[in-house]
Amino acid sequence: MPDGQIVGGYIVPGLPHLVLPRDSTSRAELRNAFRTAGANARAARPDVLVIFSTQWISVLGHLVQTRPNPKGVHVDENWYDLGDLPYDFRTDLELARRTIELSNAAGLQVRPVDYEGFPVDTGMLVTLDFFDPKHELPVVGMSCNIYAGRDEELKLGKAVGDAVRALGRRAAVIACTGLSGHWFTKDIKDNEDRIVGDVDDAENRRMLDLIAQGKCATAMDAAPDYARKTGADMQFKAFYWLLGALGSETAKGKVLAYGPIWGSGAAVVEFAV
Amino acid sequence: MAGKGKIVSGYIAPHPPHLVYGENPPQNIPRSTGGWEVLRWAYDNCRAKIKAQKPDVILIHTPHWMTLVGHHITRVPRLKGLSVDPIFPHLFRYNFDTAIDCEMADAIYDEAIGEGLTARKMTNPNFRLDYGTIVTAHMLNPDWDIPIVSLSANNSPYYFSLGVGIEEMFKLGRATRRAIEKSGRRAVLAASNTLSHFHFDREPDPSLPEDMSKEHVFSHTNYLWDMRVLQLMREGRMDELLKVLPEFIDATSAEVKSGGLFWMLAAMDFPTIPAKVHGYWSVIATGNAVVEWDLSDAAGNGHQEMRAHA
Ligand SMILES: [Fe+2]
Repeated sequence: MPDGQIVGGYIVPGLPHLVLPRDSTSRAELRNAFRTAGANARAARPDVLVIFSTQWISVLGHLVQTRPNPKGVHVDENWYDLGDLPYDFRTDLELARRTIELSNAAGLQVRPVDYEGFPVDTGMLVTLDFFDPKHELPVVGMSCNIYAGRDEELKLGKAVGDAVRALGRRAAVIACTGLSGHWFTKDIKDNEDRIVGDVDDAENRRMLDLIAQGKCATAMDAAPDYARKTGADMQFKAFYWLLGALGSETAKGKVLAYGPIWGSGAAVVEFAV
Repeated sequence: MAGKGKIVSGYIAPHPPHLVYGENPPQNIPRSTGGWEVLRWAYDNCRAKIKAQKPDVILIHTPHWMTLVGHHITRVPRLKGLSVDPIFPHLFRYNFDTAIDCEMADAIYDEAIGEGLTARKMTNPNFRLDYGTIVTAHMLNPDWDIPIVSLSANNSPYYFSLGVGIEEMFKLGRATRRAIEKSGRRAVLAASNTLSHFHFDREPDPSLPEDMSKEHVFSHTNYLWDMRVLQLMREGRMDELLKVLPEFIDATSAEVKSGGLFWMLAAMDFPTIPAKVHGYWSVIATGNAVVEWDLSDAAGNGHQEMRAHA
């Protein structure tokens, strides 16, 4: 068995405005960067995409998708008027199960979900749209536990990394998360979009700067305060998970794009591994 | 529809999927050996009565359709599909199929806009109803032979503050009331809410979720809080209830924060008639009660004097 490794790490946004409607030209910078990230990830020849999505919320621990072939049509509960998101992807069952085993061994409550019709979240599907538009790669998807903190997410991420190495996989690990979580509460036109708060904008940039410099330990320490000030998407805990998976607190993240989606902060970041 | 419409009754109608699971209806795929009977019997007490009241529509405000931009209202003639609970998929995988009262939805939308609220009509036929709507609708009317309208929970109480959220819900409640009156509908309202909302962080026994020997309220403090608000409802002490709800929410993380109860009370014009508590029990430690305000003429409450209220 070849040595397994993480071949790429990414932070990506998960709001459907980037893929719906299909011919939309709005938020072009984010879309283009997302596309570039996906192409780079594929160029690294991964066997599997591992995706942690803040829009898949769990309450009793974490959940990992173990349906062999999730298939269906997803309609976002907020943005249903933008269109539907049909999906049909394969799960890397072996990696999913090993991740669950290792997470449980590390003391986490992590459970498989294998049910027809189990809701697949928008973030996962937006990510797949850019990272695997031809539906070629198997996927391992996992939820974001609303109560979990830094330690748990680091452990879950580490379990992913360990499982990848144990099984000899080449995996791209993707944290699908927004940055600042304040948004417009009234209808806006696409061309009116901007980060709603100056504080949000400044704090997003500060966080991205730390990440770009590879000061990820500092970024993690700053994350709770950042989350408080900006209402960051799920307290930005997806970032902990990503660092756990990358197994590094000094990985440098290249910011491919940063901008607003409906007032909230969004960035595409690629980590050198 | 002829004549002025009216609200015939309003219910606090909690939505733990465990209740459907315990009942084993044909629509739900998982099977159980029962469980949570006291709450299920509480709903049982309401089902025949609702049928007898011959409502045209059941309006449900649900916390599990959380919307960021305004208040959303289902507005497609029929919604059908498989709803799998994202938290308890082993308990709830339900094939739903329901008519939506689109005229009613339009009327609520128009009145909500008239109140200065942001509102949207949900017109996507592939939309999957949330489990809050489905569990509440099923428990009140398992035959699904009365059209429904589902209203989303705008997240203003969480995004801004509880006070802002309550104001929004009072407006939406007034809008709903006017819409019902103008549309000529006989409407049942349902606030799909749990009371105290602290819960176990793991299922006591995932292989036997209906093991009632493991079910209990989260704490005595939460229990006392639930009893306090239920007692105020039973005695029709509406002003005191409204005053204490924010403190209750704060102390017990009550799900009523999401707005449904405030919406329903405003729509019913803050009734001071005694509410009937049909039953109370915990579900995975949260406090749940089925509570009815009967505003029908038959109950002698059809002409309750309207009160000026914010
Ligand atoms: Fe709930």
